Amino acid sequence: MKDSKLRKVAVAVTTLLVAGTLGACSAGKSSSSSSSNTQVNLKTAYNNTGKVDQSANKNSTLKVAEPNDSPFEGISDPTLSSNQEDFDVFSPSGADSLFNVDKNYKIINGGLANLKLDRKAKTATITIRKNAKWSNGMPVTAKDVEYAYEVIANPKTTSQQYSSDFNAIKGMAAYHAGKAKTISGFSYPDGQSGRVAVIHFSRMSPSMQYSGNTFIWGTVEPYEYIKNVPIAKLASSSQVRKNPIFTGPYKLDKVVEGESTSWSPNKYYYGKKPQIQHIVISVVSSSNIDKAIQSKKYDFVIPGGVLHGTDYKTLKKTKGYQIVGQPALSYDYFGFNLGYYDTKTQKNVMDKNSKMANPKLRQAMMYALNLDQLNKKFGNGIVWRANTLIPPIFSKYYDKSAKGFPLNIKKANKLLDEAGYKKKGKWRVQPNGKKLTIYFGVMQGTSTQEAEYQDYLQQWHKIGLHVVFTNGKPMEMNSFYDTLEKPKQNKIDVFAAAWGLSSEPTPTGIYGEDATFNMGHFVSKKNTKLMNEMNSSKAWNTAYRVKVFKEWQEYMNKEAAYAPGSFSYDWEPVNKRVKGFDVSPANNNFWSNLAFTSSDMK
Amino acid sequence: MWKTILRRILIMIPEIILLSILVFLLAKMMPGDPFTGSINPRSSPSQIHHLMKLNGLYDPWYQQYWNWIVHLFHGNLGESYQYHEPVANLIGQRAENTLWLSLFTMIMTYLIALPMGMYAGRHEGQLSDTLIRVYTYVTYCIPFFVILIIGLWIFGYVLNWFPTTGSVSATANSGWQILLSRIYHMILPGLLGALFSTVNIVQYLRSEVIDAKHSDYVKTARAKGVPEKQIYRHHIFRNSLLPIAAFGGYSITGLLNGSIFTESIFSYPGMGLLFINSISYRDYTVITALVLLFGILNLVGTLLSDIILSLVDPRIRIK
Repeated sequence: MKDSKLRKVAVAVTTLLVAGTLGACSAGKSSSSSSSNTQVNLKTAYNNTGKVDQSANKNSTLKVAEPNDSPFEGISDPTLSSNQEDFDVFSPSGADSLFNVDKNYKIINGGLANLKLDRKAKTATITIRKNAKWSNGMPVTAKDVEYAYEVIANPKTTSQQYSSDFNAIKGMAAYHAGKAKTISGFSYPDGQSGRVAVIHFSRMSPSMQYSGNTFIWGTVEPYEYIKNVPIAKLASSSQVRKNPIFTGPYKLDKVVEGESTSWSPNKYYYGKKPQIQHIVISVVSSSNIDKAIQSKKYDFVIPGGVLHGTDYKTLKKTKGYQIVGQPALSYDYFGFNLGYYDTKTQKNVMDKNSKMANPKLRQAMMYALNLDQLNKKFGNGIVWRANTLIPPIFSKYYDKSAKGFPLNIKKANKLLDEAGYKKKGKWRVQPNGKKLTIYFGVMQGTSTQEAEYQDYLQQWHKIGLHVVFTNGKPMEMNSFYDTLEKPKQNKIDVFAAAWGLSSEPTPTGIYGEDATFNMGHFVSKKNTKLMNEMNSSKAWNTAYRVKVFKEWQEYMNKEAAYAPGSFSYDWEPVNKRVKGFDVSPANNNFWSNLAFTSSDMK
Repeated sequence: MWKTILRRILIMIPEIILLSILVFLLAKMMPGDPFTGSINPRSSPSQIHHLMKLNGLYDPWYQQYWNWIVHLFHGNLGESYQYHEPVANLIGQRAENTLWLSLFTMIMTYLIALPMGMYAGRHEGQLSDTLIRVYTYVTYCIPFFVILIIGLWIFGYVLNWFPTTGSVSATANSGWQILLSRIYHMILPGLLGALFSTVNIVQYLRSEVIDAKHSDYVKTARAKGVPEKQIYRHHIFRNSLLPIAAFGGYSITGLLNGSIFTESIFSYPGMGLLFINSISYRDYTVITALVLLFGILNLVGTLLSDIILSLVDPRIRIK
């Protein structure tokens, strides 16, 4: 639950898919940012003072909605699934998370297992708690911890979760390549069926202290239960689809393929006993999720489920419901095409002569956008202009004071004049006198999104830049990424897209020199240095790490190779009969903390 | 006739092979692949390449096609890239849902449309005929998804008469409970579908009845003093059913197509959504299997229509 992993990122702009985190600051504390005054103030918990109704807990069903326009895929195993919907509908299982976290997603003791990092010996020791059991009564073992890595790294796996940082685990690369039968970097001081697993690394990183990091996987696999299923067939096996077992507060009673899951308490759960006896989570079409809430069909929308600004406008005053939320683990951004990816050296290369190479041109384009006004009109306080590339959910690392790019046409024009983009007739030309046409690539979206894209074009035209859509219109998602993911392309000069993030904020995987997801191919010595510093040995000192992160944010805004678009809330309506609803990451017992104050919806 | 049927079936084989090549090529020509856009800050791009390689997606198309055909003849349609499930299982589940709903809708449509068409034809030009015609045209004109949303809103959310999502309740456990729950879940989408798709049947039947009314054999029957009721039931109705029967074959093929609108608005997992999603996900194995299935069904449907026609109308014989 608390290990919020990213599942699918090919998201249309502002269709923010947020990792499945359920949790946040203590009840009543609100999360906000100072970047803009358009956003509403949401609390991370609904503080219900009503008395718990025991008979309602026993007899009433907690109805949870998962807004989605297609059936969910039905893979309950977090190592194999790569989408948010599966994670959501199987979340009462506790998602087999190993660790508890605090409000900053830092791993703390008290969960299914404790983590101890030894920087000198370069080891991570994972100790499973004494009474940890699977929902069929089997004990959770050290082998269960290790087997997750085998499932992810097996040469025949269907999992997409292998991160290149896993190569820092000794013997992992050899296992992944099929050269070794086991991962040599794992040892078990009291045997495979014991409670301790030690992972030996070739290097240690400060990011390991946070859940969602790319070195230590955060969930367990029921080895004894699935060991006879070939890993290639695991995702389609009944052990994963029909009769999965879990370590969390609830056990699965039934799954209706693509539609719903139902749950009852897991009597083997080590932690706080769940109070509500029945839970049903159903997929609800996004076309009628608002109506469904208004007619009180559901107690709440699953935290992390996709709800838009337009839904907020409809639902914010619904009688009997409270809106709860926290900044999402995602953001929209603008990227500029500055070079190419060299497949030989496997590094990005910036081309000084590329069309968008001048930072002043990029800054001018960003200052020309009226993102505050757009978000005021369409975001309804749920979406607001982003001021930096680290979202405010990472409250320690997020640079509140960053200005970002508020509307400033005068400044934009001045920047362009300075850089030599002179006006010739209606449009500006390149400093060398050649015609300048900038191609804007963006994915098809809702009518609201397409209206926003039109506004971007209008604003750019205002400062004399001839910007047009690549191919004349917003692109289908596959064409968009197919174009951007090419090592070299010249169809898109500037693009708008979104990132969903894991709960550890290091951005090396998307903006690093050798990251293929650095689709604008931005590379600089300073960028590489700052990114390395984020996880250097000095960065074990959190204050230093925070300093580096802030410096990096400032640097990125200066370069404007990638520029912040918008932030948003991950928010959900909750019926006032529910008590204990708290989406803060620090609430490690989200599901068992829930209770009813009455048997009927309020 | 049997010879003809056999010949028609034999002709289908090259047709299906050609179709399969076309489908396969077109699917591969779409930009992107099953892993396009499945990028995130934590997973490594080399893993994606690894998966592409493992699935043979870098091979030349003819090799991929050949592998696919070989598997197909072994009864293996492959595994879905999106669902990680054997395609046959996946289609099986969805087809079952769709078949239930389509059958229900089809039966309801005939139950509503046949009496209406007969009645309108018999009372040609009268007020009731006009009303029925207006009804069919109006229902024909309104976009189907609008009807679904309004219907769902009124009967599902405001009146609370019917379930609003899914094909079966999550809490139904025994066989009977599941069956009843399934039917309960089908009533609203099925009935809306039926009420708003009567136009073809009503109009065809009505005009056939009007034609038949003035034909010689009806006049003869009337002259002989056969009661009006019997004329309509035995003489006119049977003859007027011809075009409807011809439809029948096609309707049967349509049973598995599914409706994207119904399925997405009612969150009803069926073939329509599976098809659309497989295209946007570039889930090649599912796309090719589905198009091939739809193609075969269409060919079979045409044949069925012809056979039905020859059975209903002794004048038509397949040669």
